[in-house]
Amino acid sequence: MRSAEDVNRAMDSYADMVRRLCFVHLKNKHDTEDVFQNVYMKYMLYEGSFENDGHEKAWFARVTINACKDWLRYLARRKWVPLEIIDEEKGMLDEKSTGVMEAVLGLPEKYRNVIYLYYYEEYSAVEIAGILGRKENTVYTWLARARDILRDKLGGEWT
Amino acid sequence: MNAIQESMEKIQASEELKQTTLQYLDGQRRRRNSLHLYSASRYVLAAACLLVILGIGGYSVYNVPVSYISIDVNPSIELGVNRFGKVVWAKAYNGDGQDILEHISLKNISYVQAIDRLLNDKSYSRFLAGGSQLVFTVISESPDTMVKQIEADEYLRMYGAKTYTSDKACMKEAHQHEMSFGKYRAYLELSQYDRGITVEDCHSMTMGEIQNRIEDCMQHGEGQHGGNSSGEKERTHGHHHGEGH
Repeated sequence: MRSAEDVNRAMDSYADMVRRLCFVHLKNKHDTEDVFQNVYMKYMLYEGSFENDGHEKAWFARVTINACKDWLRYLARRKWVPLEIIDEEKGMLDEKSTGVMEAVLGLPEKYRNVIYLYYYEEYSAVEIAGILGRKENTVYTWLARARDILRDKLGGEWT
Repeated sequence: MNAIQESMEKIQASEELKQTTLQYLDGQRRRRNSLHLYSASRYVLAAACLLVILGIGGYSVYNVPVSYISIDVNPSIELGVNRFGKVVWAKAYNGDGQDILEHISLKNISYVQAIDRLLNDKSYSRFLAGGSQLVFTVISESPDTMVKQIEADEYLRMYGAKTYTSDKACMKEAHQHEMSFGKYRAYLELSQYDRGITVEDCHSMTMGEIQNRIEDCMQHGEGQHGGNSSGEKERTHGHHHGEGH
């Protein structure tokens, strides 16, 4: 089990990224809280070692995405309330950001991941392929399709 | 900064979310540690129980006598012998026997050693002076082996000891009369010849006196009085194993 110091450091370093990935996938604050805790619980119990900070960050990204998927599968029978989470974040987002977020969250799940990792975390397609366990070409394809959808919804202003 | 970055930048993990998570993890850590300790302590407890059970089991097996030896001169002493041939208890059935056991330890040594230690003791050997009769009576699942072992002791030959075997029924009766089963066997033998004799009479007699009385009765043709003699004989199960050399 990792020490409390390790967990505190990881909280300072990756909490925002984990939160954003949850935001991209999940429906509301409660789900986010559950998955957020779950990800850090996995980290606390993870016995492996990381080669460097980048390796650790990619581990968090992958584990968070998988935890979100698992959570959604778990909640599959619940009625999907689209974009509920944006309402919860209304205080934090201005009109433009709300529009961008609505467009991003409206994307299919696989596109949401690549858009977030590529445009926000600035991972390369190769790195995203590693995190998601997909082929590099698949990542390029998803990126291209996601860009098309966002361009349709937001016009040319989003990049 | 692109629009996604700009928008995403505003989504942050709140301090509340971080603190709630850290508290949750802290609770889980303590719970797991205590579970680990509980689990470890369970194994320790199980191991301790096993040791206790084995200990009690071993202790019980060790302390249960399976054979008995009654050593009678005037001091009457009984030895309880466990299945490993060790003396696990020694009891005196008269004052002289008690005096002996107060200063000789016969427990936790083999019965052969115990007999040797007893016969070597000066305060005991004074009872073996002229006119006395040393008698060993054995109750065992394999009495022949035990008698053979006892008879191998050179002191037995030196003191002209006699050996007999008996059984637990006889021992039970003897103990009801607060008498060693060796002396009780001798009483039963005498009672076949002298129907007037009582257990109380024998309490105050030495083994030499009882033996002399038996021999007197045999020489004077007494014995087999009344209808109870054969019954007594059956109950004694005492078989003369022969005198010491």
